[in-house]
Amino acid sequence: MSDLRKALRGLDWSGWLGAGIVGLIVLAAIFAPLIAPYDPLALNIEDRLTAPDARHWLGTDQGGRDVLSRILFGARASLSVGIGAVLIGALIGVSAGIFAAYKGGLGEQVVMRIVDGVASIPLLVWAIAIVGILGVGPLAVGPLLLPNEVKIVVLVGCLFSPVFARVTYAVAKRIAGADYVRARFLQGASHWQIVSGDVLPNCLSPIIVQGTLLVAIGIVIEASISFVGLGVQPPQPSWGTMLSDARSAIYSGEWWLPVFPGLAISLTVIGFNLLGDAVRDLFDPRSEARTLVA
Amino acid sequence: MTGPILSLRGVSKSFPQGGLLDRLLGRDSRLVALDDVSLDVMRGDVVGIVGESGSGKSTLAGLAVGLARPTSGEVLLDGQSMAVLMRDHAGPWRRRVQMVFQDSSSALNPRKSVERCLGETLALRGVPRAQRDSEIADLLTLVGLGPEIGPRLPHELSGGQRQRIGLARALAMKPEVLIADEPVSALDVSLQAQVINLLSRLTRELGLTLLFISHDLALVRTLCSRIVVMRKGTIVEQGPCLDVLGRPQHPYTQALIAAVPKGLAGRRTPLPVRADAAVPETREDIHGAA
Repeated sequence: MSDLRKALRGLDWSGWLGAGIVGLIVLAAIFAPLIAPYDPLALNIEDRLTAPDARHWLGTDQGGRDVLSRILFGARASLSVGIGAVLIGALIGVSAGIFAAYKGGLGEQVVMRIVDGVASIPLLVWAIAIVGILGVGPLAVGPLLLPNEVKIVVLVGCLFSPVFARVTYAVAKRIAGADYVRARFLQGASHWQIVSGDVLPNCLSPIIVQGTLLVAIGIVIEASISFVGLGVQPPQPSWGTMLSDARSAIYSGEWWLPVFPGLAISLTVIGFNLLGDAVRDLFDPRSEARTLVA
Repeated sequence: MTGPILSLRGVSKSFPQGGLLDRLLGRDSRLVALDDVSLDVMRGDVVGIVGESGSGKSTLAGLAVGLARPTSGEVLLDGQSMAVLMRDHAGPWRRRVQMVFQDSSSALNPRKSVERCLGETLALRGVPRAQRDSEIADLLTLVGLGPEIGPRLPHELSGGQRQRIGLARALAMKPEVLIADEPVSALDVSLQAQVINLLSRLTRELGLTLLFISHDLALVRTLCSRIVVMRKGTIVEQGPCLDVLGRPQHPYTQALIAAVPKGLAGRRTPLPVRADAAVPETREDIHGAA
C-alpha cells in the first residue's frame, strides 16, 4: 500500500494526465447505463442527423441514435478488449518467457523460436484473417456459446503474448543467472519457490509497463476489426463500428459522426500511452538521471 | 573417519562454444575451463585458491558446491559422489556445502528484506517458525551486525553489510564446507580486512572448512593454511601456505609473488583495521573478537 502511495507521488504531470484520462474512461465505461442520456440502441427517425445541440451534445446518427450515449457504451467494448487481451497475453507470454529463461537448453530454444514465429506475422493481419475464417457469429465451444467479443479478446491476447514473452525473457534471463537465484538453488529451494519468489517478482515492472502500453494497441486493434465489420456487430455500439458507419458522412457534412468516436479512440490511446511512459519512468532506476539530462 | 571432506578426482569441465547452428553442424569447439584437476580438502582446512582471472577458480567453486556437473571426473563430498547426491535436489547434503558470492549487489534479492532472506533460508533447513526470529538475531550477531538491520532491503545496506548478510545466509544452513568466491574483491581495503577477520574467526569458532578463492596473495597469506595455485584450468602448485609462498617451485607462482607490492608481500599478521575505518555498522570489536 505504501508502495502505491510512493508510486503516485513520483508521477509527473503527464503521468497524472494519463492516469486521469484512463480513470475517466474506465468510470464512463462502468457507469455508462447511469450517465448516458439516451438508450444507445433507441432509433428516433425524427431526430436523425441532428448537429450537436443542447439535447444531443454530440449530435445523432443516421438512425437518430444519440452519439454521446453510443460512445459511452462503446467504451465498454474497447476497454474490455484492450484490458482482457492484455491479461490473456500476459498470462501466456510471461509463463513462456520465464519458462524459457529459467529452463534454458532445448526448451529455451524451442519456446523462443515459436515466439519469434508468431511475432513475425503482423498483428492486425492475423486478427482479421482468423476472425474472417471463424466468422462473426457466436462460436460454440462445447456447451459454451462464445460471443464474437470473447473470440477477439482471446485472439488479440494470443497475438500479444510474444511481446510479453520477449520482454519477460530478456529480464528473466538476467535474473535467472543472478547469484541470489544460485543461492536459493544451493539451499535446496524448489524450482517453483525460486520462480515465484525470486524470478517473477523481479520481472514485474517491465511487464506492467508493457501491459499498459499494449492496452492502447488492443483498443486500436478492436476499433480496426470492428471498422472492417468483423468485430462488435451492429446495432451494438463500438468506436470502430461508429467510425465505419460514419464514412459516408465525411462527404455529406455530418462532421460529428466521424470526429467524436475518433476523438474517443485517440484520447484513450494517448491516456494509456502517457500512463505507460510514466509507469516506466517510475520503475526505471535511472529515471532521475534522465530528467536531469532532459 | 578422517578422509577428505571434499575431494576432486581428475575433474575436467568444458563449455560448448559457438551458436546453435555450429553445434548442429558438428563444428563445435569447447572452452576448457578445468583440465584434470585433483584436490583433497581435509576437514577444518582453510584452503586458498589463487590464480589470475580465467584460471578456472570460479568453475572449480561451482563444481565443488554442486551448482554444475563436471564434464569428466568426480567430485566427492565426504566420500559420496556429488553426481549421485545431486539426484536429490533438496536432500540433506545440500546444507553441508554453502557458498558466499563475489558480487554482493547481485547476491541478495533486491526485493527481500534481510529478515525475509534469512528466514526463508532457515525455513528450507527446517527450522520451525517460532525459532526463526531468535536464529536470525543469532546469525546477525555472528557476522557482527545488529538486529536493527533485519527489516532493511539490500539497497539500504553498505557493500560490507551486504557481504556479511551473504555470509550469514550461507551460515544459516549450518554448512561444514564454505566456499567463498572472491568474497572481498568488491570491497575497499578497510572492509576487506573486516570480512577477512570475520571469516578467520568463524572458521576457528565453528570448525568450518573454507575454500577461499582469491587473486590476492596477501589476503590468502593472512587467512589460509594451505594454498592452491591455478593457471589455465590446472593446478600448478599446492601445499602449506608458508611453504608455497616462501619457496615457490613453479615459475608461475614465483611470478605471482613477484607481482605483489613489496609492502604487502612480507606481511604475516592480519591486516590492521584503521581506527577511523571502524565504521558504525560493526558492533563487535574486530580485534577483541579474535
